[in-house]
Amino acid sequence: MEKEYLIKLEKVNELRLEDAERENVLAFFEKRAEDLASLEEVETSNITRMVHVMPITAGIREDVAIKKFERDDLQKGAPETTDGYWQVPRLVE
Amino acid sequence: MKTFINKTDSKLTNLVAFDDMILTTELPTTAGSKMLDGYVSLFEAEVVNKLKKAGYNLAGKVNVGEFNVDLMGETSYFGAVTDESGNLVGAISEVMKDTDIVATIAVDVNGAQRRAVMATDLVYLKPTYGTVSRFGIIPTACSGESVCVIARNASDLEKILNVIAGHDDKDGTSIDDSRMNSEKASAKAIEKVAFLKDMFAISEKDACEAKKALESVGVATADIDSGVLSKAGSAWNILMSAELTNNVSRYDGVKFGYRSSNYTNIDELYTNSRTEAFGELLKTAILYGSEVLSTNNYDKMYDKSLRVRRVISEAMDSIFAEYDAIALPVASKKVFTAKDVADNAYLAYEESRFTAISTIVGLPTIVKCGYQIIGRAFAENALLDLLRKIEKEGA
Repeated sequence: MEKEYLIKLEKVNELRLEDAERENVLAFFEKRAEDLASLEEVETSNITRMVHVMPITAGIREDVAIKKFERDDLQKGAPETTDGYWQVPRLVE
Repeated sequence: MKTFINKTDSKLTNLVAFDDMILTTELPTTAGSKMLDGYVSLFEAEVVNKLKKAGYNLAGKVNVGEFNVDLMGETSYFGAVTDESGNLVGAISEVMKDTDIVATIAVDVNGAQRRAVMATDLVYLKPTYGTVSRFGIIPTACSGESVCVIARNASDLEKILNVIAGHDDKDGTSIDDSRMNSEKASAKAIEKVAFLKDMFAISEKDACEAKKALESVGVATADIDSGVLSKAGSAWNILMSAELTNNVSRYDGVKFGYRSSNYTNIDELYTNSRTEAFGELLKTAILYGSEVLSTNNYDKMYDKSLRVRRVISEAMDSIFAEYDAIALPVASKKVFTAKDVADNAYLAYEESRFTAISTIVGLPTIVKCGYQIIGRAFAENALLDLLRKIEKEGA
């Protein structure tokens, strides 16, 4: 993987690494290529994906609105609020 | 160095501790991350509710590595827990030392808790996936993470399991009680255990001690090759990272958690908040997960890992047709030092080869003295019976 591509990945994930960190991450990605090579040894062309490890019946709850929390409570952990709204920087100038 | 992130009144009795991935209303839940430092949930996890209703009291919140994906808590924002010699000890074992705490309830994502107890007298149980509700657990890798219990003996593990097990409508992956009960009723006692000889060959832990302990309680042992089970670590690394990337995308500095003070627009708010709050291992895992899920790699990495998971599950079924359980070491080393993780910050991704074997297929596992024993699905009671016999023999 090239450094430029890694920077693109950082952007997609809203992260920014220092150059020294980038070197570590690139080395990590190289090491993980061994994981991939190891998996390629397993024949899986006629195998179905296993998404759930136990057979489950997805539970569908009644479509009923339940008010569990007050807005003030929900905003207690917010970094910044104004008049009951989550505050973010201006999006449109 | 912190063992408890927050602690309640220690004069209470019937104490249980929770690792800092499990939501509680009376104490903050941080996931070992600066991102959630001081975060207090509005609701409690189902395991907390159940234990409180059964008369247990919250002792406090136990330090964890950031989102529980590391080796033994070394990536916690609150610091790694080490002894005087610089060995990583894991906050759980320190918290349980010389206290009245009956058990610690934790979330096993990548085996950190198993490694934390491997050099101690504590015992560990990870029940079958879906047996214990994951409602109210900070999600990391939902398809394999499980609530686990750490205690001093089989009897305490069983007591806690009996309280926390059971169907929960609030968790979409929770197993129906009727199925759980019928599977448990038909579970077979453990009489024959297969030892994964190639896993012991790459570990400092010798198989002899475990074989002797099992044979002393009348259990037959035999060596087998791990075969495709040796691919579990590689597949889990991919699945865990992909799921982690999605699960931590919600932390953006807007609705809750850490917000950087250094921003002039919304993009800078997101990027600086996440960059300043997440540690290096987590950032690396996020980037790797994102790469796994990218258009170019989805089929050859993510989809492939899901297929390999099926192959591993079928291989397990074949082993369980002949044996009642599988034994292997918890890790490559008996003890990990702070230097080990300083030299290789990604050691957890290498050590997952031992712990991912049961995680990736959600099978019940017990740990004692650095050995793991994996049972058939819903064979928790058989595993606990075996542990009780070993304890009785003093083996």
